[in-house]
Amino acid sequence: MDDNEKRTMTLNLTPREMAVLEDLAAKKDLSKTGVMRLALRLLQAADAKIRAGQKLMFEDEKTKEKGELVII
Amino acid sequence: MTESKVYLRKVAINQLVEASLFDEITDEHLLIWKTTWVPAMEAYCKGRADAEKPDDSQWNWKWKADKWRPFLKYHSFSIVCEKELQGLMLASDLKSARIQAQFGKPIVYVELLASAPWNRSKIQKPKRFGGVGTIMLAAAIQLSLDLGFKGRIGLHSLPGAESFYQDDCGMTPLGNDAAYGNWIYFEMTEKQADEFRQK
Repeated sequence: MDDNEKRTMTLNLTPREMAVLEDLAAKKDLSKTGVMRLALRLLQAADAKIRAGQKLMFEDEKTKEKGELVII
Repeated sequence: MTESKVYLRKVAINQLVEASLFDEITDEHLLIWKTTWVPAMEAYCKGRADAEKPDDSQWNWKWKADKWRPFLKYHSFSIVCEKELQGLMLASDLKSARIQAQFGKPIVYVELLASAPWNRSKIQKPKRFGGVGTIMLAAAIQLSLDLGFKGRIGLHSLPGAESFYQDDCGMTPLGNDAAYGNWIYFEMTEKQADEFRQK
């Protein structure tokens, strides 16, 4: 499979989803397509860790309080 | 896989020679690594104390390749010149910038970067080729641009390479990072990437 051979897909988003996408694109200084690509990479990386029995945790830098992010 | 024409400086004749930059480390590259790079590194390390060995002397690129290949977030690069492997790099695209001006924005992070043993003055004098690190950095910046990250990149420098990243490449040092062997973390902004590309 050649990575240079790209395929096109159409994505229909609700107004709320589009608003979130536009907000993230602005915050991350990315195009909307760039955000979607980033999300795909992130989900694949997180999914592999979770399948391997690991947890996705967030830690508050000040309080050191930890919270687990559950991905379905 | 894309092959781009680049130039390395052949130190013995002090001239630029044509080389190939690949946006993938292939099985063929790993075979060349195993049969040429590894024996050269082992010969240099033989009889030396651990502290004198290069920090990357234990990096097993074959083992690492098996780990990174399934993931979209990883991007590997190799440089071949005169049918020999001259450098390898692994980058990823899921880390965020730390410099305040670009904090939280995605960067290309250089996970691993190594020149072949014969291209290091510490191991061989004179070294065979110069410019491997610069070309790899340029490749990381180009990847950042291709991903829409505007040239932003980051990396932790191996001890001894700090001046290369700071003085030669114009990256900003952000201090020692206890989470990464206390190595200094460097970052390049969009502006610095632009300046690097002008050189």
